[in-house]
Amino acid sequence: METSPLQRALKAAPDRSSVGQARPEQEFFCFKVGELRLGVPSETVLEVFRAGRLTPLPRTPAFVMGVTGHRGQVLPVLDLLRFLGKGEARVGERTRLCVGASGPYVAAVVADSVLGLRRILTSDILPPPLGGDAAAEHLLGVVQPGTRGEGIALLNFAKLLQTARQRAVMR
Amino acid sequence: MSLESPSPKSAPRRKSTSKSATPAPTDTGIRVLIEAIERVLAGDLTARAPVGELAGEAALVAELLNELVRQLSNAEARKAITSKEIDRAIDGLIALVRQGDLARWSKVTEDDQLAPLLEGFGNVIETLRTFVREINEAALRLSSSANQVLTASTQHETSSTEQAAAIHETTATMEELKHASAQIAENAGAVARVAEETLGAARAGRGAIGEFIQAMQQIRTDGVAVADSIAKLSKRVERIGTVVEVIDEIADRSDLLALNAALEGSRAGEAGKGFSIVAAEMRRLAENVLDSTKEIKNLITEIREATAAAAGAADASKVATESGEKLGAVAAQAVEGILAGVQETSDAARVINLATQQQRTATEQVVASMAEIEDVTRQTTQASKQSTGAAVELTQLAGRLAELIRRFKAD
Repeated sequence: METSPLQRALKAAPDRSSVGQARPEQEFFCFKVGELRLGVPSETVLEVFRAGRLTPLPRTPAFVMGVTGHRGQVLPVLDLLRFLGKGEARVGERTRLCVGASGPYVAAVVADSVLGLRRILTSDILPPPLGGDAAAEHLLGVVQPGTRGEGIALLNFAKLLQTARQRAVMR
Repeated sequence: MSLESPSPKSAPRRKSTSKSATPAPTDTGIRVLIEAIERVLAGDLTARAPVGELAGEAALVAELLNELVRQLSNAEARKAITSKEIDRAIDGLIALVRQGDLARWSKVTEDDQLAPLLEGFGNVIETLRTFVREINEAALRLSSSANQVLTASTQHETSSTEQAAAIHETTATMEELKHASAQIAENAGAVARVAEETLGAARAGRGAIGEFIQAMQQIRTDGVAVADSIAKLSKRVERIGTVVEVIDEIADRSDLLALNAALEGSRAGEAGKGFSIVAAEMRRLAENVLDSTKEIKNLITEIREATAAAAGAADASKVATESGEKLGAVAAQAVEGILAGVQETSDAARVINLATQQQRTATEQVVASMAEIEDVTRQTTQASKQSTGAAVELTQLAGRLAELIRRFKAD
């Protein structure tokens, strides 16, 4: 008898009792934008949806791409590449908008593709390199490329959103 | 004549001298007479009796005697003249007989009795001279004519020999012509045969070209069918593309849904863990579907390119077959031309064959005629040779005649 994908997934899942006890780990929402592989704590991410029509906002910093409507809510859309000074994001058919929340402030960031939720061992998280650039202040740490895949820069999403908001308001 | 004149004069002179010189007695007169008679008898007809010296009867006798001697002397003189003329006539006759000299005849005479005779002879000789002259002339003419005849005959003989040679040559040429025309007939026959073969080959070529054109039409029809099939295939592939787009869309939505579900699970904390894992698995499935659809899209792109290439190839094939058909039509036309040409060649060769055969027959007739002509010419040559011989003989005879007649001298 053929097993359904759901049954296979359940079989592959680790035993609930054993999880968390072995080694401390943290779940990150990982995505790709431009050449960057970024990860943000999964609890800061509310939802992911497809990029619809963006309405540009006047008198805003370049990293604010505009606003978009989602479920009756108007969300600002941020370009992390511009924000971090790593280039410029492009909005296409497959572009995802990841909704993040920092307290009452909610905003969406552009992602070319979503890598998924990753559980990363705390021991694998390395501190951000010293003397880094502007991006360094928002970094929680980095995961070196290794057995579990490519290297990922882990961001403090809440802080980043706050900073962005402040900068946008300052203007 | 000369003898006649002095004697009457001398006689009186002598009579006077003797009369004056010697007045002799009678006896002496007789003696004188006797002497005179004796001298006359001795042949001296000039002797006269001296009448002057005598007298009487003696003088009379002397006179008579003198008269007698005178008459005798006259008769003698006439006789001498006559005999002289007779001698001349005899000489002329001798010359006539011996040397054939007709020129030395004289009709002139003092003798009346001889004159008719001489004239008669003269007439005869004149006639003879005329004859000789005419014969001579005729002989000359004959000789000239005979020479001309000989020349003509020789010329005729030569020309007849030449004619024979020419006829011989012509016959040889005609023989060669006969052989040549036979060869031409043979060659024309060969040409006709080759033309027949070519005709067969060209007909086969025409058939082959017809088949070729049919095959080309078939290929074109097939090509059209192939193009239709390709168009249909292209439409189906487009349809598949649309379906794949739909699947893609669904997979993308599934992906998003699974992702959000995972986030929800994650927020639920420990309780939502299993849900998150299922959602992740769901997401992976959706990603698999997306990968598959991507692959299908690539395949569709490849198929599209391939069908485009096939359509292009079909178009090219159509153009090629059309040009092939045209070429086939041109080739068919060319072969038709070849057929017509070969047919003409064949007919012409046959006509040449017939004509040369007729020519051969004609040539044979000409050869036969030439043989006859040669025969006749040979006879002619023979005849002209004989004629030449006769002419030679005639010339000789004419020469002989001329020679004979030359013995007579007419002038």
